[in-house]
Amino acid sequence: MNGVTYAGLLFLLGSGFTLIFGLMRIVNLAHGSTYLVGGYIGYTVMAATNNFILALLAGAVSMGIFGVILERGLMRQVRGQPISELLLTMGVSFVMGDLALAIFGGNPLSVRMPGGLDKSTLIGPITYPNERFFILGVAIVVAVILYVVIGRTRAGAMIRAGVDDREMVDALGIPIKRVFTAVFILGTFLAGLAGVLGASLLTLYPGADSEILTYALVVVIVGGMGSLKGAVIGSLVVGLLDNYGKAYFPELAYFSLFAPMVLILLWRPQGLFGKSVA
Amino acid sequence: MNAGLRALVHVVVRRRRSVQLGVVVVALVVAAIIPQLGSSFYVSLTLSVLIYGLLAISLDVLAGYTGLISLGHASFLGVGAYGIAYALKIGLDPIPAIGYALVAVLVTALLFGLVAVRVRELTFVILTLALGQIVWGLAYRWVSVSGGDNGLPVPGRPSFGPFDFSADSSYYYLVLVVFVLCVLVMWLVVHSSFGLSLRGIRDNEARMRTLGYNVVVHKYLAFIISAMFGGVAGVLFAFYNLYVSPTMIDFAHNGTVVQMVVVGGLGTLWGPLVGAGVIVFFQQFVSIYVPRWETVLGVIFILTVLFARGGLWGGLANLGRWLRVRAGEPPTSGASTSQALTEVDAASGSGD
Repeated sequence: MNGVTYAGLLFLLGSGFTLIFGLMRIVNLAHGSTYLVGGYIGYTVMAATNNFILALLAGAVSMGIFGVILERGLMRQVRGQPISELLLTMGVSFVMGDLALAIFGGNPLSVRMPGGLDKSTLIGPITYPNERFFILGVAIVVAVILYVVIGRTRAGAMIRAGVDDREMVDALGIPIKRVFTAVFILGTFLAGLAGVLGASLLTLYPGADSEILTYALVVVIVGGMGSLKGAVIGSLVVGLLDNYGKAYFPELAYFSLFAPMVLILLWRPQGLFGKSVA
Repeated sequence: MNAGLRALVHVVVRRRRSVQLGVVVVALVVAAIIPQLGSSFYVSLTLSVLIYGLLAISLDVLAGYTGLISLGHASFLGVGAYGIAYALKIGLDPIPAIGYALVAVLVTALLFGLVAVRVRELTFVILTLALGQIVWGLAYRWVSVSGGDNGLPVPGRPSFGPFDFSADSSYYYLVLVVFVLCVLVMWLVVHSSFGLSLRGIRDNEARMRTLGYNVVVHKYLAFIISAMFGGVAGVLFAFYNLYVSPTMIDFAHNGTVVQMVVVGGLGTLWGPLVGAGVIVFFQQFVSIYVPRWETVLGVIFILTVLFARGGLWGGLANLGRWLRVRAGEPPTSGASTSQALTEVDAASGSGD
């Protein structure tokens, strides 16, 4: 069950990452930093107001706004140059990490959920913390919303069409640049949201950004780049493997993540649900 | 421009080969006398530049010449350095320990390469990042072997027969010699027909495949060559630092190696050395005065990607070209390094 909760958190992170990659071919290495800074902002708001919902919104919305600035201000300068885009996000992640260290210090911080959420529920023989139900719930709600928006609405159709053929969508008169910005905001928004939730499930500290980024990357590699379904399956696989790996082979925890990733890559280089880019 | 300067420019332009050779000789002489200046700080600084320069140059064989940007290159430094520390811990002598470390690097490279060359472009970057994080994770968590967060000490530097390298200044010469030899070998590699095929793969992989080149084997060899020199840098690092820890191979440090290559200039051998010099200077010197030096370095990196796409070395090459035009020589048709990042990007774009 702990693995499943962690999978929920990973899904929130991985889905944003995979959407940005699927549509824009941007590997956003600042995704982990967005998570971390979103979490820190949530922590600050929580400390000031003791309102967890407000903290969640603050983390997510502020990172959404950050997404606009990043996409419009920087990413657009190197549009269509994949390696430059990647290097740019890496530079941004370094700056964010250093500034976060300057502002929030090096000590681990964490958010305690209020109300009944910091208590536990007894299900049969095991007790289970309510905050984990909450995180899992948020992840499921987000997954359903994303599924409906992307699968059933006009905006979703634009995004899916953009994933398949950017030039053609552009030629059809769909404002693809605006779709890009929207998806980028969605991705950073979800990362910020995950940050605040992660601040209660885990802790925030300098270096948490790259650690969580690795997990998001493995989720996306396993599930397949650009696939929402892949992000769901990928985060479940990674969440459970990580949990059992840590329990059974604590010293080789990362290895237990790596082995299935390699097997999947050898078998299907594009990931479980990825489209083949030959 | 006065007549004297004009004459100087003329010499620089007309005798480019000999000038280049001259610069290398002068650089070597300067490097050779640094320990004689009596400042241990500069010896230590230059040692870092040489070791990280070697690491960055070895990455550029893969990144600049083959178009495969690895975000896990510090792993090979890590495997080399941990290999030394572990081999000494289990009681091997220094020479077998070096062999042990290099075999460890080779095995890692053979395994990682097998997976990494199956993918290209962005997927390659992500995959190498994930592989690098796994090496970091093992160093961090596999406490019984790696010492975990505490790292491992390296008991001392080796002495070979009459040569004792325990002092920084004597170890410095050993590093300098190894550095020069390695760069020489890499220079030969990238200027061989094999190196030309690598650049062909970078620019148009499909065409190279059609021409009958075994692209996968070429990339695999490039990956292993690059990793091995990275491992040599790791061995040098272990004996320089006398301590290895997971921090030196974390995500930020993997990124730093890429930073060195990009800031210095992709696709050249000297660029990454210049980049390593700049970044080590920031880490060890600017950091004393500017607490947020990492932010400054990050901003410099972002600006390089946006505006100075050939890196510092590309900038120098542009200056050289400008001087040549000023001196009335037609622009040469030699490979331009000023837009190196654009070339790597174009190569990635064409594969989509």
